[in-house]
Amino acid sequence: MKKADGSHNRARGLFDTAEKVFSRSYVNLLREKGHDVIEQEGDGSWMTDAQGGRYLDCYASAGTYNLGRRNRAIARRFMKAVHETDQGNFVMPSDYKALLAQRIASFVPGRLDCVLFGVTRGESMDAACKLARGATSRPGIVTVDGGCYGETGFALSLTAKAGKEQFGGLIPEVLAVPFGDEDAALRAVTDRTAAFVMEPIQAENHCRESSREYALRIRRLCDATKTVLIFDETQTGFGRTGTRFFFEQLGVEPDILVIGEAVTSGMFPMTAMVFTPELKRFFDIHPLIHLCTFGGHDLGCVVAMAALDEYELAEPWVNARMMGQRLASGLHACAQEFPDKAASVAGRGLLFSLRLAGGEPAAKAFCARAMREGLLVETGRVDTSTVLFRPSLLVSEDEVDRIVQAVRTILAGL
Amino acid sequence: MIGLQGVSAQERGMSFLIKHRGDSMKPAKVERMMDGKERDYVQHLFGKHISMGQVRYLRCAHLDVYERDRKGACFVDAVTGKRFFDCFSSAGCFNVGRGNERVKAALEDALARHDMGSHLLLSEHKVRFAERLASLCPGDLDKVVLCASGADACAGAIKLAKGATGRNDVITMNKAYHGHEGFSLSANGKDYYKELFLPLMPGFHVVEFNDLDAVRRVASENTAAVVLEPVQGEGGIHVATKEYMTGLRKLCDELGVMLIFDEVQTGFGRTGTMWAMEHYDVIPDIMFTAKSISGGLYPNGAVVYRAIEPLVSYVEKNPLFHDSHGGGSDLGCIVSQAVLDDIVENRLWENAAAMGARLKEGIQEIASKNRDCVKEVRGLGLMIGIEYVHEFIGALMAECLARQGVWAVYSGNAPQVMRFQVPITIGGHEVDDLLDRIRAAFDAMRWYLVLLMPLARIPFVGALLNNVHLQIWAFNLVRDLEEFVGKIMNRRGGA
Repeated sequence: MKKADGSHNRARGLFDTAEKVFSRSYVNLLREKGHDVIEQEGDGSWMTDAQGGRYLDCYASAGTYNLGRRNRAIARRFMKAVHETDQGNFVMPSDYKALLAQRIASFVPGRLDCVLFGVTRGESMDAACKLARGATSRPGIVTVDGGCYGETGFALSLTAKAGKEQFGGLIPEVLAVPFGDEDAALRAVTDRTAAFVMEPIQAENHCRESSREYALRIRRLCDATKTVLIFDETQTGFGRTGTRFFFEQLGVEPDILVIGEAVTSGMFPMTAMVFTPELKRFFDIHPLIHLCTFGGHDLGCVVAMAALDEYELAEPWVNARMMGQRLASGLHACAQEFPDKAASVAGRGLLFSLRLAGGEPAAKAFCARAMREGLLVETGRVDTSTVLFRPSLLVSEDEVDRIVQAVRTILAGL
Repeated sequence: MIGLQGVSAQERGMSFLIKHRGDSMKPAKVERMMDGKERDYVQHLFGKHISMGQVRYLRCAHLDVYERDRKGACFVDAVTGKRFFDCFSSAGCFNVGRGNERVKAALEDALARHDMGSHLLLSEHKVRFAERLASLCPGDLDKVVLCASGADACAGAIKLAKGATGRNDVITMNKAYHGHEGFSLSANGKDYYKELFLPLMPGFHVVEFNDLDAVRRVASENTAAVVLEPVQGEGGIHVATKEYMTGLRKLCDELGVMLIFDEVQTGFGRTGTMWAMEHYDVIPDIMFTAKSISGGLYPNGAVVYRAIEPLVSYVEKNPLFHDSHGGGSDLGCIVSQAVLDDIVENRLWENAAAMGARLKEGIQEIASKNRDCVKEVRGLGLMIGIEYVHEFIGALMAECLARQGVWAVYSGNAPQVMRFQVPITIGGHEVDDLLDRIRAAFDAMRWYLVLLMPLARIPFVGALLNNVHLQIWAFNLVRDLEEFVGKIMNRRGGA
């Protein structure tokens, strides 16, 4: 009991410091969602806090821990690599980068064989937009509404982030058309369009999903106008939706694919854009035109290669499909049981969104109650009335049943 | 390229795989040492999957080195076994020395329990690191936004200034370098990085560095921020003057403009003080940093801002204004904390000041004997630049230095300037050794200059010599010939 008091005082001290050094409203935001815990460590499907709480991690840091929190095989390789290498001089043609690029090229299906590394999702999206503009010599970028791509310049210009007008003029010649509206896309994409950008599933927007027909039409439109098609699979890649990448299920291959931190299973801040050999010509003619000091970090490359080994070994997309079905039927059953509280369930694989009838306050309340049930979930960024479920792809049947049981209890008490 | 001809890519790849793995299904591993063939295979892979242009670009000045035994101020070339002084330090990332044991141990220990943590949740490591970082910043630079990289932090800083002031325009400096994402790219002061990707953000005005009147002319009630590096790195090691910095501070106060310092390269002791701003007694409203914060091991970055209005109110209203995933991860903060411990306990900035003075003095002495090709030597602490009289000398000198075991590159935004940014843990004997090598490189370069300098005086030929594309072509040709001759000699020797 005394120890518990100690850890509570310690936690309170940390929150006070966090209010001072970050902001009070940030800590309050955490409090509203019951996320005012001091995270201790992650292990597999679970996360613990300093106050002794243990949670089934259905946030997985926005779906990056696809192979579980602190995947042990990757951590072991990482520990060894710490003594073998460091980030390297970023302008050099390192063999770490070359070998990882080759691995990614063979991991990603189709003709996407070339890689440029970044640190954050936004940086890779910015690089993708720049490559499209540079390679086509056109200015226009068309995207669909309701997207979420990151916080950097181009990415933010494409993102449906509330209040982004406060940053003044962002990247010009960016146009958002309604998602799924073929005619609007047809009108917007012209011979001045460099790129068409979309997430095939908008995770943060109640998992709004592109149909096969829509994706195919957009692909044809891009082919006809020589526009570069960019898919952001930061949240849907690396097995999350039941295949390595969701575009395989759509049967439509983009020209540039943005991949997120799942490439290291959340062990290293690394993202990348993967693109076709035709587009790579631009970087052959203009070497070092887009630089990133921490992008393609040699140590990060070792971690990513270890993660890819684990992906190939565990094939987590298979489990994602099976457990996804179980989770889907559980969540749908819960929604039917409480139709006045749960408006709808969307998603696939192990990426689900539950929309609360009570809007954003209900979603936040859901998160807070979830913590009491030992479940860590986060609200959607674009559709803030939703709560997302994106656990480790190696989650067990028992754990899925726990999630469903917890959701039932939370909804009952909401 | 002779080195890559004769054998198909497939065959080259196979021989490498068979030799090392005996199993063509499995990919190659990074080997301790490489022979020429293996290096060719890696170059082929890099060219195929990333950029052949980059390989050719670096190859032309013997800068295509595969780093091994990264230790202190040096690394070893995997092909030749040659030891190099790392005078680039990934543009100033290795302040605590490469392979710093304390930082490595901290990361290794952390990996037994931690991962990146959950983005948005708090942890002891995140909070303690942010608190410590703020405590090491002068004045009321008390508030922190953790970011994942320098460019990410630059975006955060500009967003903070724009959002808090409600103004749009940003004044940046000619030759400035802040990064390659949308905000920082718009703020870069060299068209080369921007012109292929237009249009960028409106309202970014580029003015001459160290020219206060230029800022005064452009600044208006619509100016949100003035952004600058206290010492321009990529721009060619230009050091801001004290009058300029003081004047900027005063001007920004008058106009309600946020003064932003980019301390990505200059931070963490590089210039002889913990932060370059300390040389000026000027505190910016916002500063951002990255690079050496990571100890060369794990990406991290930060925006630090003053606890003043309108910044504090803005962030209180918009706590997630720059919600950077990957920034301020648990592992990142543990590594950065160890970096701070190492810098503070060893007072590394003092070593940077002392060794910087020793190195600069030595280079100045060398320069005084090479007045016909060196225009100026300048810098602060261990951020030193040599400006040559012609751009092509930069590439030539990189080659001559590489032969002497000194890995130095010329500035991206100013090819006539070569930068020396060795890890600030470097010792006195190492500095003297480095100086001997630089001296020898200059002696070697004089042979080339006998031919090239008269040519460079002819305007048309001078322009040709300074043409990067021509340099890449010519130096690659020389390199091919060299390797070809080397191969024949080897074959004869073998027979």
